[in-house]
Amino acid sequence: MGLPLYSAHDDPGPSFFRYADAAGLTTSHDPEVVTSPHATTVIAVRYVGGVVMVGDRQATGSYIASRDVRKIEAADRFTAIAISGTAARGIEFIRMAQLSFEHYEKMTDAVLSLEGKANYLSPIIQRNNLTSPLVVLPLLAGWDLNHQVGRIFEYDGAGGCYERLDFATIGSGSPFAENTLRLGFRGDLDLEDALDLGALALYEAGDNDPSTGGPDFVRNLFPMMVTINAAGFQELANDDVASRFRVINERRTQSGGIAGGSLR
Amino acid sequence: MSNYFYVAPEQLIKDRAEFAQKGIARGRSIVAAIYDVGVVMVAENPSASLNKISEIYDRIAFAGVGKYNEFDRLREAGIRWADGTGFTYSRGDVDARALANYYAQHVGDMFTEGPKPLEIEILVAQLGNKIRPTKLYRIAYEGTISDEPRFAVLGGDAETIKGRFAASEDELEPLATTLKNAVAALAGPDRVIPPSELEVGLLEDRGSRRTFTRLSDEEVSELLR
Repeated sequence: MGLPLYSAHDDPGPSFFRYADAAGLTTSHDPEVVTSPHATTVIAVRYVGGVVMVGDRQATGSYIASRDVRKIEAADRFTAIAISGTAARGIEFIRMAQLSFEHYEKMTDAVLSLEGKANYLSPIIQRNNLTSPLVVLPLLAGWDLNHQVGRIFEYDGAGGCYERLDFATIGSGSPFAENTLRLGFRGDLDLEDALDLGALALYEAGDNDPSTGGPDFVRNLFPMMVTINAAGFQELANDDVASRFRVINERRTQSGGIAGGSLR
Repeated sequence: MSNYFYVAPEQLIKDRAEFAQKGIARGRSIVAAIYDVGVVMVAENPSASLNKISEIYDRIAFAGVGKYNEFDRLREAGIRWADGTGFTYSRGDVDARALANYYAQHVGDMFTEGPKPLEIEILVAQLGNKIRPTKLYRIAYEGTISDEPRFAVLGGDAETIKGRFAASEDELEPLATTLKNAVAALAGPDRVIPPSELEVGLLEDRGSRRTFTRLSDEEVSELLR
């Protein structure tokens, strides 16, 4: 790769995606159907001081391809990005997003706003999903430094970007997670409540959806839980996550697998 | 029949070199120096927003003197090159020497073949780690690349500043000392440069992947005290 110099009229600007596209660094889009593992359930819940995200760790093709996939990553210090859909495209997408935000910052000496980041991803999703069967659907959550508030953005298959003021879910287990969140969400959730609700919603998804990996007590592998707030992106320690899922599992064992009409 | 007069290549190169030198001499200089745990770059720059020193990659920084639009385009190309290389291979494969060579080739091409030579001098600095050394590569207007062992000076008054800085330091010092020496070398004996007219960038390991930081005016005055 030589020195990528452009004249003023065809300069791709601070967008890494436009540059990568012009330089042929992105994958070409082949309409042939390929079987590739899918990544599954991720949840984002707003609470008073930011956003909580929970994601399962399983990648599923016609069998379980991996049990310890990371579907939530820090895109930068105050932004988290999560993926569902084709794992291969999702991982490429996360790399593209991470690099793009940093690229913009270096090129312009200014940090992209959270809304700017959310909108930037739209055409990338649109192009991938409308030209390839290897669909990927991300979820973006972050701490908005300009407004000092946690925000969640979800996308539809065509790349449409929508801000959610309560919670959002992606992946095949999302109907089950969504229902749990709908019953349990309040506008005044504190961090602990949001973590417990998020864990429960993921537990339900893992319980009902064959492609969502719930807590794996045998291998000591648990869903990823992260918080994004004024302190930035932080991942909960495995032990902390394990104890939360153990509590849910214990309750559920005692009730013989029945939720019992309350959020437990 | 063409009407061009014959110009000896020696004359052509001399004219072009004079042209570039004149352009570079109009601007202020930059001192870049290795200190005990990092690299510091100091520019005399009255503008707080038109930067001469920038981040290229995790452990690579850029500094440029001369015509702003010319070196800024090279800065942008460097960021694209580094991010593109890291995206294609891995972050660890992005090497300052490769980038410095590309810069040298481009600047050299512009000197001999371009409509006019670039009126710039640039520096690519790399903070070392287990697999790569700490390096300062200086690229002059005609494409000469030099690997400076401990410090580099860019700009019109380079020789004088170089002499002053070399006299003040003969081994690696802490940041505050090296910064003081660099500022003194830039200013000369009869002048004091206020912190607001200094642009200072560092490459130093502070526990995160990215090692570049800009120092604020307050931080600079604190260190110069």
